[in-house]
Amino acid sequence: MNRVTKRTWLMSVFILVLVLGMLIFLVQYLFQADQWVAFSGSPHVYNSSNLGCGTVVDRSGTMLLNLTESRTYSDDALTRQSTLHWLGDRLGYISASAVSHYAGQMAGFDLFNGIYDASGEGGQEVLTISAKVQNTALEALAGRKGTVAVYNYKTGEILCAVTSPTYDPDNVPDIEGDTTGAYDGVYLNRFLQSAYVPGSIFKLVTTAAALESVPDILDQTFQCYGKVEYGTEAVTCETAHGRQNLKQALANSCNCAFAQIAELVGKQNMVKYVSQFQVVVPLSFDGVTTVKGNYDISDTAPVSFAWSCIGQHSDLVNPARYMTFVGAIAGGGSGAEPYIMAQVTNGGEVTYQAKTQSTGQLMSPETAATLHEYMRNNVKSVYGDGNFPGLSVCAKSGTSQLGGEAVSNAMFAGFVENEEYPLAFIVVVENGGYGSHTCVPVISKVLAACKEVLDAA
Amino acid sequence: MEAILSTLSVDRSVLAAEYIGFLRWAAPVLTAMLLLRCIVPLLTFRREPEIWAWLNLATGEQVPITHWENVIGRSKSCDVTIDFPTVSRNHAVLTRYDDGSWTITDVGSKEGTLVNGRKIQICALTSKERISIGGVEMQLQPITQRQEERQAQLRTKAASGWDTVTNLMLLTILQCAMLVGFLMKSQQTDLMSIVQGFGGIILCQWLLYIFYCIIHRKSFEVETMAFFLCTVGMAALFTVKPEETVKQLLAMILGVVIFLIIGWSLRDLERTKVVRYLAVMAGVGFLVVTLLFGTEYYGAKNWLIIGGMSLQPSELSKVCFVFAGASTMDRIMNKRNLILFIVYSVLICGLLALMNDFGTALIFFCAFLVIAYLRSGSVGTVALAITALVFAGVLALKIAPHALQRFATWRHIWEDPLVSGYQQTRALMCIASGGLLGLGPEGGLLQYVFAADSDIVFATISEEWGLLLAVMTVLCIVALGVFPIRTARVARSSFYSIGACTAASVLVIQTILNCLGTLDILPFTGVTFPFVSNGGTSMIGAWGLLAFVKAADTRQNASFAVRLKKEKKERSVSR
Repeated sequence: MNRVTKRTWLMSVFILVLVLGMLIFLVQYLFQADQWVAFSGSPHVYNSSNLGCGTVVDRSGTMLLNLTESRTYSDDALTRQSTLHWLGDRLGYISASAVSHYAGQMAGFDLFNGIYDASGEGGQEVLTISAKVQNTALEALAGRKGTVAVYNYKTGEILCAVTSPTYDPDNVPDIEGDTTGAYDGVYLNRFLQSAYVPGSIFKLVTTAAALESVPDILDQTFQCYGKVEYGTEAVTCETAHGRQNLKQALANSCNCAFAQIAELVGKQNMVKYVSQFQVVVPLSFDGVTTVKGNYDISDTAPVSFAWSCIGQHSDLVNPARYMTFVGAIAGGGSGAEPYIMAQVTNGGEVTYQAKTQSTGQLMSPETAATLHEYMRNNVKSVYGDGNFPGLSVCAKSGTSQLGGEAVSNAMFAGFVENEEYPLAFIVVVENGGYGSHTCVPVISKVLAACKEVLDAA
Repeated sequence: MEAILSTLSVDRSVLAAEYIGFLRWAAPVLTAMLLLRCIVPLLTFRREPEIWAWLNLATGEQVPITHWENVIGRSKSCDVTIDFPTVSRNHAVLTRYDDGSWTITDVGSKEGTLVNGRKIQICALTSKERISIGGVEMQLQPITQRQEERQAQLRTKAASGWDTVTNLMLLTILQCAMLVGFLMKSQQTDLMSIVQGFGGIILCQWLLYIFYCIIHRKSFEVETMAFFLCTVGMAALFTVKPEETVKQLLAMILGVVIFLIIGWSLRDLERTKVVRYLAVMAGVGFLVVTLLFGTEYYGAKNWLIIGGMSLQPSELSKVCFVFAGASTMDRIMNKRNLILFIVYSVLICGLLALMNDFGTALIFFCAFLVIAYLRSGSVGTVALAITALVFAGVLALKIAPHALQRFATWRHIWEDPLVSGYQQTRALMCIASGGLLGLGPEGGLLQYVFAADSDIVFATISEEWGLLLAVMTVLCIVALGVFPIRTARVARSSFYSIGACTAASVLVIQTILNCLGTLDILPFTGVTFPFVSNGGTSMIGAWGLLAFVKAADTRQNASFAVRLKKEKKERSVSR
């Protein structure tokens, strides 16, 4: 009997395996449960591939999406269209990563209670965007493809980030069968997922690089005869601008002057400052990451380098990232990183509160101040202050040539310098033609709407 | 009047929400109280060494005999060690019977065992007989009737009647609280099935307790835990497949009947030996029938469909295998007995290889290991080790390729959450969603995932009743596993020790494979959670195994293994 008795210890091996296994699981639960709950497809949080619980409202409390029973969008058709790309569609073609990113907080997950919600109020996400501004921007785009975005460069709140084309999720058009091209890239959120040839708005980067790296740049002048030749190729302007200083060259958006400035800055410095200004790196916030831009001048001929400083050649920028760069200029060399999720609550309890994050000092305050002054000059002397009643706007336009027969993209980037309206913006109208001509009317309406919203709050 | 009615109807959902808020706290608290009251006595009872006789050596030395089965020999691991060159390592076995009589059996010693100068194989003993083992003379002096009675009185009593009634009341309160939760929350129309399911369990547990009172048995901890596990399983089943609650209840009742029958047969080891032969035959029979008439699901042929009922006879074979493996000490030493067991294991191994069911094969393999290790004397060790190797080899060659697919997913479930990792990722998501206290009855969404009532039932319970309660169900099984280790020291026959340990091992291993498989700690094998998973044969098998665990309980008034004194007097002392 002794022998049998002693050998019963074998049982404790199995018991140990069971107990240890459970302990390992409990440790995993402690550290990973929040990820499990919010993992895509989690039954309590998701509804097919998009978020499936709680409500989403805009900054003024306007209901954008109600997920408590099924997926109910706003009552207003225009709002449904202008906010679709942030909320996601019913079939999962448009994934709403930012909204889904806070699924765990929305569901009110905590390790003790799981997602149990005693209050029955459910979760709520408050976005920084304003449905009113979104609608204004979408209407201003008037069916043209592109994106309009405005954010507060002091706090980081995105007031408006609209993408076009879009559609009404309650009245889905025949996208598959469409042959007109009206719905090309309709599932893309262009603000995040597109990279555009920047054209002349890129001259802000070159100007900043020149201010940082060429000591006597402010004393120099540049002669424009309408053309700078590089062997058989050339950099051209539509008219000869004559002799200009840096400020005038930027206001005239003079290609010939910028070809000369590019030579003063040099390849090495351009690469250095493009990297320092973070113009082409992806931007990440609220679980979304934008596409990266492109600035590649390795093995390029002098003419290509000149074009690269004018925002052509192989240059690409993402609208969200470029808007952040402009925000940094407005903020005296450092701005706020943009974000769209203001607050998440569950059962009346705040489970997430946005915090302002700085881009860090991208350029010296002096450079930023000089650029600020030049961009203000652009509006005063070229685009016209009258377009922005009550606002003091600083900006730069761009007309990015796409090559071949394609009509140029119209670009416009800038900011409002008024203390009470710290807004940076970017407008892209695909195949919109001349930058300022196309974009100024759009941004003029959108900024006016932003002003109203900020005044109301 | 109508106004009052309408306010009432509005209040119902509010009331339900309030009640669920209360229930998710109440259920784990009640469970914790219940399990504490059940587990603590099982794991802390005093294990007094009992002295049944004295062995008076010619040298004048007196050796106490503390078990009913005692090995005498030169080996240090013997119960009575006689360090004398002519004594074999394992020389003879001294056995006490239920009626107080003793025998001595020679277990193949070199020099033989002599009683009153005659060489014997087996011989009844009284205090007068002179025993000679390898030339060492001794006499057995059994304790007197009075000493025995005194010893029986001193033996730790199992829980008093009131403790058991309190435990059962706690369990009943828990069951009623859960039932009310279902009734308030459920949108389903067939509420009758949940009332029948829970009501049936409540009725069954009280009837069994009344039956115990009639036969003067007081200990009910093991049964209370089993009924608790059945209750939890019923709760999960109603959420997932409400139409099957009555079927599961009937399986449980049948399981309790089997539990009583096996318990009754274990009470007298002579009777057990007869039942054992039947069980051994049945064990093979179940597997053969499955092989001949079975249906193949997911590559494993372990289902038998009779008249629309799907059965898994291999679950019952486990119980039979425990019967085959458990043995009394004098037989463990017997070579013929050992060879028969090895042949039987090889036969079972062959049948399992043909069935291709990895989970079941693994459980049998572990059960075999436990039996083999507990039994192996010096002679048998080598033979059993070889059999174990063959068993493992067949498993590896025949079944492992199938199982490899599951191993590929193991620890990688999040890489393919929509196909191979679907069940487990959903299980983890829902466990996390439930938190420690759960979302309440009918509050879960895992019910739509395949096998939510069986293979991943742990997650279903965790989601609706909370991780705390789910972990406590596992602790129940842990307690059932620790109990046989504790009782082994005071066990009277190795039959009970081996039986209880093997049965408990099977319960623990099934829980390991089921729960840790669901949680992606171990590969997912699709084995049932004893008492909890939906499945009739599994339920019956679990109760059958529980009978062996229960039989190891030697506390006074506790279990079948110990005959009560009153009955003893009625029996003649004439073996």
